[in-house]
Amino acid sequence: MMWKDKFKIGVELIDNQHKELFRRVSDFTQTIRNEENWEDKLDKVKETMTFMKEYVVEHFDAEEAYQEEINYPDIENHKQAHARFKEGINGYVKIFEEEGFTEDKIQEFGGRLMTWLIVHVGKMDQEIGEYVRSKGGQAQ
Amino acid sequence: MKAEYINSFYKAVKDVFQLMIDVDPQRRDLKVVEDLTVKRDANVVLGVKGDLHGAILFSFPKAMILEMIRIMSGMDMDKIDSFASSALGEVANIIGGNAMTNLAQENYVCDIVPPQIFIDEYVSLPSINEKALLLTLVTPIGEFDITVYLKEVEGKQ
Repeated sequence: MMWKDKFKIGVELIDNQHKELFRRVSDFTQTIRNEENWEDKLDKVKETMTFMKEYVVEHFDAEEAYQEEINYPDIENHKQAHARFKEGINGYVKIFEEEGFTEDKIQEFGGRLMTWLIVHVGKMDQEIGEYVRSKGGQAQ
Repeated sequence: MKAEYINSFYKAVKDVFQLMIDVDPQRRDLKVVEDLTVKRDANVVLGVKGDLHGAILFSFPKAMILEMIRIMSGMDMDKIDSFASSALGEVANIIGGNAMTNLAQENYVCDIVPPQIFIDEYVSLPSINEKALLLTLVTPIGEFDITVYLKEVEGKQ
């Protein structure tokens, strides 16, 4: 289980999207780590890449819209972090397009994706919850 | 070598480990060494450039890395493969980034060079011809070392 309750920020919409991201990354990790034949896993790998490209954008847009709504002071830094995260994913999309879905590169991507997600949600996003609470808001 | 250098990395390691694996590393030994020598199974070298120039070596036992990855992923791992080594490299990258932020608060503006990861292999790291500091940290999942070799660039006020 990759998701931990300490990652909640106290804003329902964002917490639910984070849980979905962790669930998908966790499923992806289990798929690429299991003992099945590599060729049999490729559909799941491709499906996850498509999901990550689309859902990450959707989630980041929702998170940035929420930050604008609450006048979050660190929004520009946060947008830059989102841009770096998307660049990271798109960088691997490009590698897979050019070199194919090789097991070694997919495993490398899996390790990075897990770490990026934990750090982004576990640290940067927590600061949104702290800000809302400091303003007497409902994040808890 | 100034205490701020090693303290910046020590604080960064504590923050990142608490966040990622719910572990709080404690200082054990701090000693002066003459070189950057690989003594454990999994090693990550981070270059530093800017107001300070040099390198940081993180050295971990294999069992500790596998336990770190298990805590992060929720899955048992039995070898340090591309998945585990890329996660380790990212963790080191994040520690390095946090340490650069800590150093900036001490008025040193630096950048890190992307990590190089060495698993179960002998590596010949560049001879530094100067003294470095080796800090051993203890955690409930194992002990590991950080060797810090940083030199102030001439002209830095």
